Amino acid sequence: MFDPYLAKSLRYILSVILLTGNSLPLLPSDLQEADTVFSRKEFSAEELVRGERLFYGLAYPAEMTVDCEKCHNTKWSDSLNWNPDALEISVKYLNKSGADLQAVLLRPKGKKMAEVHNNFQLTNEDVVLIKAYMDRFVDVGIKKQKPVVTNLLLLIISFVVFSISLTDLIIKRIFRNSRFNLMLLTVSSVVMIWILAAGAIAFGRARDYSPDQPVKFSHYVHAGQNKTDCNYCHYSARSAKSAGIPAGNICLNCHFLVRSGTRSGVTEISKVTGAYDNNEPVKWVRIYRLPDFVFFSHAQHVTAGEIACESCHGDVKTMDRLYQVPDLSMGWCIKCHDTRKVNLTNTYYKTYFSGIYNDFTAGRTDSVMAAVTGGRDCGNCHY
Amino acid sequence: MKKYRKDILSEQVRPKDDLSPEPAYEFDPLPELIKDSATGLHSSRRDFLKLCGYSFALAALSSCRSKISKAIPYVIAPNEITPGDALYYSSSYVNGSDYCSIIVKTRDGRPIKIEGNPRSSMTRGGTNARVQASVLDLYDMERFKEPISNGVPVSWDEADGEITARLKKISYDHGSIVLLTPTVYSPSTEAVITDFIEKFPGTAWVRYDAVSYSAMLEANLISFGRQVIPRFHFDKADVIVSSGADFLGTWLSPVEFTKQFSSRRDPEGSMNYLIQYEAGLSVTGCTADKRIQIRPSQEYALLLNIYREVVKLTEGRESNAPSSPADVRDIAVKLTSSPGRSLVISGSNVKDIQLLVNEINRYLGNIGTTIDFSRYMRTHEAIDSGMADLVSRMNAGDVDALIFWNVNPAYTWYDRDAFTKGLKKVGIAISLSGSPDETSSLVQYICPDNHYLESWNDAEPEKDLFSLMQPVISPLFNTRQMADTLLKWSGSAISYYDFIRSYWAVNMLPRQKEYSDPVAFFDHSLQEGVFETVDKNVRPAALLTRPVSHVFDPSLLKTGDDREALFEVVLYEPVAIGEGRQANNPWLHELPDPVTRICWDNYASISGLQAKENSLTEGDLIDIGGLTFPVHIQPGQAYGTLSIALGYGRKVCGMAGNGVGSDAWPFLTMDNGNVSYTRTLGRIGKTGSGYLFAQTQGHHSMEGRALIRETGLNEFKVNPSAGNELHEHYTRHAKSLYKEREYPHHHWGMVIDLSKCTGCGACVIACQAENNVPVVGKEEVQRVHEMHWIRIDRYYSGDDMDPEVGFQPVLCQHCENAPCENVCPVGATNHSGEGLNQMIYNRCFGTRYCNNNCPYKVRRFNWFNYTGAGTLRGNLRDKAGMTGDLRRMVLNPDVTVRSQGVIEKCSFCIQRIQAAKLKAKTEKRALYPGEIRTACSQSCPANAIIFGDLNDKESEMNRLIRSGRNYNLLEELFTKPSVNYLTRIRNRT
Repeated sequence: MFDPYLAKSLRYILSVILLTGNSLPLLPSDLQEADTVFSRKEFSAEELVRGERLFYGLAYPAEMTVDCEKCHNTKWSDSLNWNPDALEISVKYLNKSGADLQAVLLRPKGKKMAEVHNNFQLTNEDVVLIKAYMDRFVDVGIKKQKPVVTNLLLLIISFVVFSISLTDLIIKRIFRNSRFNLMLLTVSSVVMIWILAAGAIAFGRARDYSPDQPVKFSHYVHAGQNKTDCNYCHYSARSAKSAGIPAGNICLNCHFLVRSGTRSGVTEISKVTGAYDNNEPVKWVRIYRLPDFVFFSHAQHVTAGEIACESCHGDVKTMDRLYQVPDLSMGWCIKCHDTRKVNLTNTYYKTYFSGIYNDFTAGRTDSVMAAVTGGRDCGNCHY
Repeated sequence: MKKYRKDILSEQVRPKDDLSPEPAYEFDPLPELIKDSATGLHSSRRDFLKLCGYSFALAALSSCRSKISKAIPYVIAPNEITPGDALYYSSSYVNGSDYCSIIVKTRDGRPIKIEGNPRSSMTRGGTNARVQASVLDLYDMERFKEPISNGVPVSWDEADGEITARLKKISYDHGSIVLLTPTVYSPSTEAVITDFIEKFPGTAWVRYDAVSYSAMLEANLISFGRQVIPRFHFDKADVIVSSGADFLGTWLSPVEFTKQFSSRRDPEGSMNYLIQYEAGLSVTGCTADKRIQIRPSQEYALLLNIYREVVKLTEGRESNAPSSPADVRDIAVKLTSSPGRSLVISGSNVKDIQLLVNEINRYLGNIGTTIDFSRYMRTHEAIDSGMADLVSRMNAGDVDALIFWNVNPAYTWYDRDAFTKGLKKVGIAISLSGSPDETSSLVQYICPDNHYLESWNDAEPEKDLFSLMQPVISPLFNTRQMADTLLKWSGSAISYYDFIRSYWAVNMLPRQKEYSDPVAFFDHSLQEGVFETVDKNVRPAALLTRPVSHVFDPSLLKTGDDREALFEVVLYEPVAIGEGRQANNPWLHELPDPVTRICWDNYASISGLQAKENSLTEGDLIDIGGLTFPVHIQPGQAYGTLSIALGYGRKVCGMAGNGVGSDAWPFLTMDNGNVSYTRTLGRIGKTGSGYLFAQTQGHHSMEGRALIRETGLNEFKVNPSAGNELHEHYTRHAKSLYKEREYPHHHWGMVIDLSKCTGCGACVIACQAENNVPVVGKEEVQRVHEMHWIRIDRYYSGDDMDPEVGFQPVLCQHCENAPCENVCPVGATNHSGEGLNQMIYNRCFGTRYCNNNCPYKVRRFNWFNYTGAGTLRGNLRDKAGMTGDLRRMVLNPDVTVRSQGVIEKCSFCIQRIQAAKLKAKTEKRALYPGEIRTACSQSCPANAIIFGDLNDKESEMNRLIRSGRNYNLLEELFTKPSVNYLTRIRNRT
């Protein structure tokens, strides 16, 4: 039924008509008209559909406009998109007038935005309709991926199989062969136990946890491309328990001058500088988190243990979006304590582990693991 | 072996052959939570199981990682703060006349622990329970939060405007303004007050101390021409005679005196001799080498006899004295044989008694040696008659404006009715106190003061010993420091902080030569916490040296036969609560009294003999002088006396302190211009009802074993392991089938010197603050659920009526062969490679087998959720308001906050061990000697607790362990504890 060619030509004709209207010089009456356009509050369903089409770049020929969704996500994504997503924009402009959106949309100030927002041919009404369409994101939000349900389904199925075969074995006896029943029972119970055990082990652990951050901060850009030392921002890692989330003033050390990024433009950096100017902290979402009864010290591991950051945090230099690399289970800790060598030349170890140190210097042992120097004492981490 | 017993009650109530069940007390063993009858609900076993199921499901769900946790950094990080690292600030604890130089530990901008400042020559790094607990007062939700005018919160500008207008008018009309404060020994505050008085002419400044030393001040004026309290040198005294002065517990400056006194309790050095004459058993009386019971009315006769004997021995002159209540010839010989090296003190507030004490000291040549007038104390300067005059002026309508600060006469003044009546006639009453009290509830304006941890100040606790106080946190509420308020009212534009700085630049800077820049000097002093100077050019004002031949006043000898039937009430300041300033502090309420081991209460202590005569049993409520008190039968209480603690029965102070105990202040009387803390009353009446104390000792009895080993000094000199013969026996027979454990790198251990411990309880509160030990409340203590990780056991020995007393701090012994470790089914408690008995809370699931198997009974079980760490709502048990957001700010983030259902116990402050080890590792060095100190060891004013590495053979701790005095608690069990005790040596010479 739907003819793409016809639609395209219709769109073209329409655009020509609108273009001429738009290219006329502005009269005072036009300004008045603009005011009334921008102050509109109620929209019909058709108008909202048109707003949607404008947003997805379907209302005009491709050379006159673009698909907003290409840059501004409407769905959750696990890769880093530097551009603000639709929700972010809609939240920002929810209580602002269409004129503000139009100003940014058609006459952007940032260099990067100006490159992309080029040659947009949108009327005042178009802008208002786009805004009207986008306002829905505030309520709907950015759709998250649905969780994988295979395990749950498998659990339910095996439970059903288990119950049926058990009932059959005891009461009904449809299957003549009780061995078949027993086999079903075994398989289903193994599956159930396996799923439950795997779930229980993973319970409360968060490997690969990678939440959305309030600012699209890329460790790849900072630590990878610009080769910033980890200790520059996380300066207390060497001396304190906490590695420290850098304070606003640390960010501003560089971003006082660096106001625009090659990939990100001004949007993300302005969040940091804006927060600083308003004397507000950036509320980062914590990724690496240990339970309250675990006392972990960065100084112990970074300075005393001489462990590189990457050993636990993975190759952060390559991560646009930071995620939790280890599962932070106790087994993971202990495995490292059992295999990690201690630097015995530290005077502390020389003094208190003199026996081991003498063996080491005499060549009787080639290495001493952290487990030997107290790395397996419960009280070293739990108190 | 001597016979030890836990208390006299068990002997009296239950004769040995009486096998009848324990007397039933009227208290419900079930908490309200479990009682359905109260709510009218009927639940069956099925319901119970259902609830169990739901709660399991809830618990499982709540542990899911559903909450997103935020990591919020500073906008501008302060230079000195590293998140997660502690910062320490020198400061001063000043609360009325209590003073201590301190170091405050802050974590992420909030103070969490107080430690002693070793740089002060006065307190020398010691603290006491009140100092340790003061950090909790900061986080008191019930402090005043903003200025209040006639019950309505107002802004500071409004309050200032209204008050200054009225004060100006009064001053203009030649009315009288009175400023009522306790003794102010801050030089800058004194200057501020002087400015205020200049600005408002006609202002009178009255100083009033609730626990008064005014008789001593007046006596010193007569005897020596100086109205000051001299500095006492207990460390220079070989013989100390104390008549009712509890100088190790509460008298004048207990932290300083304990430091001095304990420095002379080393039997290898020259040990001092202390004799205590008193009615009620005090901390000092327990520590004394000899204690003699006297009634307060006998004190004068006793001192007269000492005086007579001393005069006879020094001058060979006979003088007149009545018959003595105790034989004083021996002690007089001792005193006179060490001229200039003895000390006679009295805790009495009767001028004639203090005059007599002065004369005795003068004859003994102690003035200038053990009693130092050149560097006198400034913490107690108030004269009772000043307050009495004020009350009469108020009643005469002569006072137009009354400004209070930090005094509570509506509660502490002997004639509180006259005071409250007078207050109604005062035109405008203003309170500058920071927290609610009985007096501030009667005033029109409340202009709340900051807590001392939020304030700038200085102090001069002893002449020429200066001390600075600095804020370690911004004011939590909209409060303003008292001195700032007075500055504002006097129209000054500068803040009190600038005032102090300029005061120090003008007055303190010239007193030293090291710094010429006032800023550098102030910053240096601030960092040190103290600034001490002895200006050699200024000679102390000359003392009157003419001996005043003492005129004996027969009216003071109340020994008439008709008075024998009466009771003498002795009112004393308890070690923890004091005069009641910190009454809203649950830590202090839950600290058991060192002697009676009763917490959350006061009571009338009575001698066992008299209790029997009056057929009174423990906890009987008696009616005395119109007031009702429960009776506590106290071994060693003088016959005919009742000891009652002041400071309890507060009505307006907050959730934790309101209505705890009974008010004993109405017993006070005025006697010859001084408040009298003793009173003779008629017979006591029984009310017939009983009362259950929250007493901790009976629950932890270790009766019948050689727990405290003691001997005399002479025996010790002959044989260093005298009294400790068992140790050798047990060590010889200690053979193990198993391989000995080895601790090649560290082996943490402790030595506790029982000769030095005074039982004051500073360690208990220090541990509570350091290790997040919960407060459980009175009912829970009655159910034996107290949580203190370190307790001080008190044992009586010898005569029931006149026992010798021993204190023994007991904490987890960190046994090498720990009985608790073997029985844990989940390995939640086990041994570390450094000799620590570790307790892993997250492994524990609460079988309490370890608790059952511990012979020392030092393990504690979280029966309920006391600190708000639990997940099940119904289990929260918080009678003292300790789980509020603000109160929880005091928790130490370096120690897990335990939830319900787990065992906890002393960890040897493993968080401090770990921190010190880490510091050494990162600095690539060995540990410094004494670098690690546990909270109990750090706070001890007597240096009785020493912590260290048993592998460090050179340390002082190991030297003591090698001495003959060393033994372990219950060493016959072969648990091989890491905590060692040193035998108690009494100077019985």
